[in-house]
Amino acid sequence: MKLEGTFTFNAPQEKVWEVLTNPRHLEKAIPGCEKLEEIEPGKYDATLKIGIAAVKGTYKGMAQVADPQRPQRYRLIVEGGGSPGFVKGEALIELCHQNQSTVVTYQGEGQVGGLIAGVGQRLISGIAKMMLGQFFKQIGKELKTL
Amino acid sequence: MKPCAFEYFSPQSVTEAVALLDRYGDDAKIIAGGQSLVPMMNFRLARPEILIDINGIRELEYIKTEGDELVIGALTRERDVEQSPLVIEKWPLLSKAVSYIGHSTIRNRGTIGGSLVHADPSAEIPTSLCALNGKVKVMGPSGEKELAPEEFFLTYLTTSLEPSDLLVEVRIPALPQKTGWSFRELSRRSGDFAIVAVGILLFTEKTGVCREARISMGGVAPTPVRAERAEALLAGQKISEKLIEQAAQQAAEETETEPDYHASAEYRRDMARVFVKRGLQEAWNMVNGGQ
Amino acid sequence: MTDNRRIMVKVNGVDYERWVEPRRLLVDFLRDDLELIGTHIGCEHGICGSCTVLLNGRAVRSCLMFAVQADGADIMTVEGLADSKQLHPLQAAFREKHGLQCGFCTPGMLMTAYEFLNEHPDPSEAEVRKNMSGVLCRCTGYKQVVDSVMEAARQMRKK
Repeated sequence: MKLEGTFTFNAPQEKVWEVLTNPRHLEKAIPGCEKLEEIEPGKYDATLKIGIAAVKGTYKGMAQVADPQRPQRYRLIVEGGGSPGFVKGEALIELCHQNQSTVVTYQGEGQVGGLIAGVGQRLISGIAKMMLGQFFKQIGKELKTL
Repeated sequence: MKPCAFEYFSPQSVTEAVALLDRYGDDAKIIAGGQSLVPMMNFRLARPEILIDINGIRELEYIKTEGDELVIGALTRERDVEQSPLVIEKWPLLSKAVSYIGHSTIRNRGTIGGSLVHADPSAEIPTSLCALNGKVKVMGPSGEKELAPEEFFLTYLTTSLEPSDLLVEVRIPALPQKTGWSFRELSRRSGDFAIVAVGILLFTEKTGVCREARISMGGVAPTPVRAERAEALLAGQKISEKLIEQAAQQAAEETETEPDYHASAEYRRDMARVFVKRGLQEAWNMVNGGQ
Repeated sequence: MTDNRRIMVKVNGVDYERWVEPRRLLVDFLRDDLELIGTHIGCEHGICGSCTVLLNGRAVRSCLMFAVQADGADIMTVEGLADSKQLHPLQAAFREKHGLQCGFCTPGMLMTAYEFLNEHPDPSEAEVRKNMSGVLCRCTGYKQVVDSVMEAARQMRKK
């Protein structure tokens, strides 16, 4: 599925870049993320515990901040698998400043497979968007801690 | 597949059920009709460690009026809501909406409370509750509270219930005399989940003017949606074909549709427009004698 | 892991007492514990209808219930339709009008129709179609199923 959208943050571009690429902040922002452990620079082992309604699952996988061009763009790659299925997502994240704010645009592809994709097909697209919304909302909160 | 093993409790009262929920919290799941939960358990997508079966709490099964409000116990089976003479006479939109739920066999077990807590945005009971301005009564360890739909439905399959809360009752206010209504649903096959579902109420005055309109749409957002701007277009107005079309167009713009195998986002949005239009026509004809 | 529970059920007029794991589905209890294999399992998630039985007079999907939930219940399965002398009119009609081919969905069709005709002894074809649409059939194309139910209704009204 296509994933694209825009979020505006009331913060300078450098700060937004920091929060969007630093594992310390990503760990708090990625929904259900319990741990991000660095394997190599920019690449992290991820454990996600996600629960929607009665469907709770632990997904183990990887998150990567790839091709960083500070402070304008990078590719965020996330993948994880668990008993309900697997998720894969890759998005180009671009930042640009607008007066005192920073506008973040993301454009990418997401894939959900396994049991949850078949049974939950009807709601997958909406839930993915909702989780992206949660991610960026949490990024907004992380910005306030800087 | 067969479900994972679980500890099973069968409380006989609301107090007992709430105490169990309080004790086990997040590890426990309530089972009522089981028509949504057990499929997930059979797939092993849901693996509650503890199942609290509330089917023994017969005190939660009732349909009655209190004053002029309709009051329905959470455990009431969907088929009983559908066939209740009281509901059919005074809140026919609810009966019609429930008749769209799956098939009769499912409605024999499924409960009104279960459907609300499951909070599927395409579901008929949540959508009609929003149209009817109904409320839910919830029991928790610290007592009882009443929630309006906008406080209750948060997003996909998610309500504001805490792990130790039990939904016990649904309350629906009386409808005025001259009410036109409609509940329509689009789906590929009879019994499928709605692509769009629309519940409409129109309250009129003698002069053929619409006093208040309520347009509730399911399947077009993370929760059921009231098309408030479309409703405002109609309030206090003399209804015409043109105004209905405008309102329907406006309602479609208040959706946040997503695609799936059955329908693209654009199609859903357009069907919201079509079904709001048809629903408004139906409701208006009903109360206006086909003018 | 979890303790077995004692349940008492009446099935087709016969009383049973058994011990079951809470997670045992009612359909598996009927088929495996009571050896009543007339009830079939088609999907295990409530959409095919072939597991339909009557529980306290109401048609339910037995793959969506746990046996422990049926404690104290009065159940009728397809084996309970015929009396010792002859087929139930529904069964006779399904045979007469070719309402089955492989027979997999048939128990579900029969039990669903049984409840339906009890409540609607003189249905229209449209009503039959609507009410039977909850049971999936891959063989008949549904026409013969509808014909069978209409025929059964005719026969039952005669009595």
